[in-house]
Amino acid sequence: MTDAAPPTAPARLPALAVWRFQIGDRLAWRVAAAIALSIVSAALLVALSGHNPLAAFAAMAAGAAGSPHQLGVALNRATPYLLAGGGVAVCFRAGVINIGAEGQIALGGVGAAAVSLRWPDTPSPAAAIVALLGAAALGAAWAGVATAIHLGRRVHEVLATLLLNFVALLLVQQTLAGPLGQTGAGFLQSPQIPAAAWLGKAPDLGAHAGVVVAVVAAVALSLILWLTPFGFALRVAGRSRRAAAYAGFSMNGLTWSVMLLAGALAGLAGGVEVLGMHHRLIEGFSTGFGFKAVTVALLGALEPLAVIPAALFVGLLEAGSLSMQRQIGVPSALVAVIEGMTMLFVLAATVRRA
Amino acid sequence: MTALLQMRGIVRCFGAVRANDDVDLDVSGGEILGLLGENGSGKSTLMKVLFGMIPADAGDIVFRGRRLDGHRPIDAMVAGVAMIHQHFMLIEAMTVVENVMLGWAETGRLLKRSEMAARVHEASRRFGLDLEPEAVVADLPLGRRQRIEILKAVLREAELLILDEPTSNLAPSEVADLLTILRRLREQGKGVVFITHKLPEVLDVCDRVVVLRAGRVSGRAPIGAVTKAQLAEMMVGRDVTAPHATRQAPSKLDRLIVTDVEGPGLGPLSFSVKGGEVLGVAGVDGNGQLELAETLAGLRRPHGGALSVDGLDLIEASVAARTEAGLAYMPADRSSTALVKGLSIAENLMLRDSRRAPYSRGLLLSRAARDAKARALMREYDIRAPYPTTLAGRLSGGNQQKIGVARELDRKPAALIAHQAAWGLDPGATRFVVERVLALRAAGAAIVYLSSELDEVLDVADRVAVIANGRFAGVVARRDVDLGQIGIWMSGQAA
Repeated sequence: MTDAAPPTAPARLPALAVWRFQIGDRLAWRVAAAIALSIVSAALLVALSGHNPLAAFAAMAAGAAGSPHQLGVALNRATPYLLAGGGVAVCFRAGVINIGAEGQIALGGVGAAAVSLRWPDTPSPAAAIVALLGAAALGAAWAGVATAIHLGRRVHEVLATLLLNFVALLLVQQTLAGPLGQTGAGFLQSPQIPAAAWLGKAPDLGAHAGVVVAVVAAVALSLILWLTPFGFALRVAGRSRRAAAYAGFSMNGLTWSVMLLAGALAGLAGGVEVLGMHHRLIEGFSTGFGFKAVTVALLGALEPLAVIPAALFVGLLEAGSLSMQRQIGVPSALVAVIEGMTMLFVLAATVRRA
Repeated sequence: MTALLQMRGIVRCFGAVRANDDVDLDVSGGEILGLLGENGSGKSTLMKVLFGMIPADAGDIVFRGRRLDGHRPIDAMVAGVAMIHQHFMLIEAMTVVENVMLGWAETGRLLKRSEMAARVHEASRRFGLDLEPEAVVADLPLGRRQRIEILKAVLREAELLILDEPTSNLAPSEVADLLTILRRLREQGKGVVFITHKLPEVLDVCDRVVVLRAGRVSGRAPIGAVTKAQLAEMMVGRDVTAPHATRQAPSKLDRLIVTDVEGPGLGPLSFSVKGGEVLGVAGVDGNGQLELAETLAGLRRPHGGALSVDGLDLIEASVAARTEAGLAYMPADRSSTALVKGLSIAENLMLRDSRRAPYSRGLLLSRAARDAKARALMREYDIRAPYPTTLAGRLSGGNQQKIGVARELDRKPAALIAHQAAWGLDPGATRFVVERVLALRAAGAAIVYLSSELDEVLDVADRVAVIANGRFAGVVARRDVDLGQIGIWMSGQAA
């Protein structure tokens, strides 16, 4: 070791490393290989179903980013994934396996709808903000229930968060059948919420303001993770709970913080969906967003900034596959298979080994 | 004697570091070769290359006349090389014979249990291993478990046994037994590579010795021709005489007071340590050392008792509050408590101080301050690594421990609990740790130094306590130490 000189004049790291992504070697190559593999296997499946793969891919590309409007569709789809995925990423970083985003999203939708229907006369920008706060509060509260069960009764957090998802979905049904429901709709949904609470949309693009909220949230999460003592504590806890205890961090406090944070973000995702897309609360408006958020968080290697492209990728993929289904007539089940396979390939290429 | 193994010109680099740089190594059948070197000198790398765990960048390996190239551990095993790791690869809930059968083709698809038991019995007698085939591993002391590994190797007809730091976990009598077994292996014509940094053992049992330093061979000699001092010189390239502190007397003031502390496997225990005093706690591992250290540090809740540092009552205080109050702690477990291997050196240096200046400025962490502090500490504590952002897990054991030392001592603590602070370190790093602890003593801190290495305790302590079954079997001033008495206390018998 005598030849390893002490670091008298250490070279500076490139400025790009300020927020230090922790992404492995030759990532670009592995991602390229994963995408190539998924294209080949998707082509095979499309051909087997009796359609022309080239036409299918053309439709998919056009559907994903063929026009500003299509791009807007993809951005809107990516938004809930980004919001909820960022929260999931922070939980996983802290070693808290929260898979309750689905239920927290559902409750967030209830929160947004309830606030804007209860106070219909709130003026324009405030209405949306207050409704989003309501969504975040209810999402966080639902995450809080899981945390209380987990910490108070020592139920594993996977069980506590997962099982409460089903309870949350039933709760949404119950509120729609009761206080929030629209009578005579023949379908479980709330009345339309006042237009003052709708999220503004960009002209042409059609992307709603939730996109901005989500990107700001992801940047803020990355800041928290890398530049605050709290972020440091949760990174330590995620790698070694014993080291966290030795460092004097309270695991209970950390668990509460990350769960409430993730719950609020998932709640926001639900709120954004209600205020930006449907303009009412509809039963089952979240079609597995919370579970895809886990995929997106892992795709983004649990780095909030990297979750942005990951969410966008899934959004583009979904918008594209929908249009492929519409235009070429590829069955929807096959579309789901292609989507799932592509995510698996990319995950296999990007997720770092423990 | 026939040449069993020839390694020629082995080179292996990790980034810019040449962990092995043109190393030659020969072992003959019926020979015990001592492979000496400090931590990070390249011993483990060389053996991993031999065993096929990592490929060499250059060089040739010839084993029993056949070239090993691009081989994997399984190939090395089939060829007749056996590696006995520091941490045993045994399943504790199973018996000796079950562990021997595990993953061995000759066991057959249907387990030939009694036949195997007979073979275990026979080999155990031939090599003096004294193992019962049906004993459950969990019931056996560490020394016996190690023999199971040796037994597995000889039953699989290994011709070359590599033992990586085999004595570091053993009690003195077990070490003596192990050395006898190694001689037995030599008589039976086996080759043995004995990796260690304990010079007396090398001189006792080896035929030849090869010394590595910074990845190169810094010396080789037959045992009869070298002295302990020469070997130490080859190993560290500098003088490593034991620390001899010019000791001033401790102050009159008790800084750390422990009263009737009691918990599972611990106490009740009372003692006090004065400023500028080291209380050495000796004892066989597993007699309450961990419980004592963690209870004082706040990681375990005691059933009762009191703890004060400089008059401040801390028994109910959180870990963070204890740290703030000047109580420093160096845990024995460095791999996942004292150090987070996946974080950088700089982040590990701020592990327990992240919410304080200079690391925190208001709500945010200051990266510049953190890295500047890390550079200063790396210089002051001689932590050898290219950058503060280098991952701590990439450092050698000695450098990892220096991170812990730097972090805990830089706070200028009033009291320090050090548990196995020099465990597994080479003589240079051990001396470094001991000197820093003694410097802290000179600065007036109260120190509790727990170690299962009696020599180390005797080196640093002003008073020596022996812990057995969670209590102090006896406490004696360093100058009045009677080794016989210490031994009796250690074995748990009342004085």
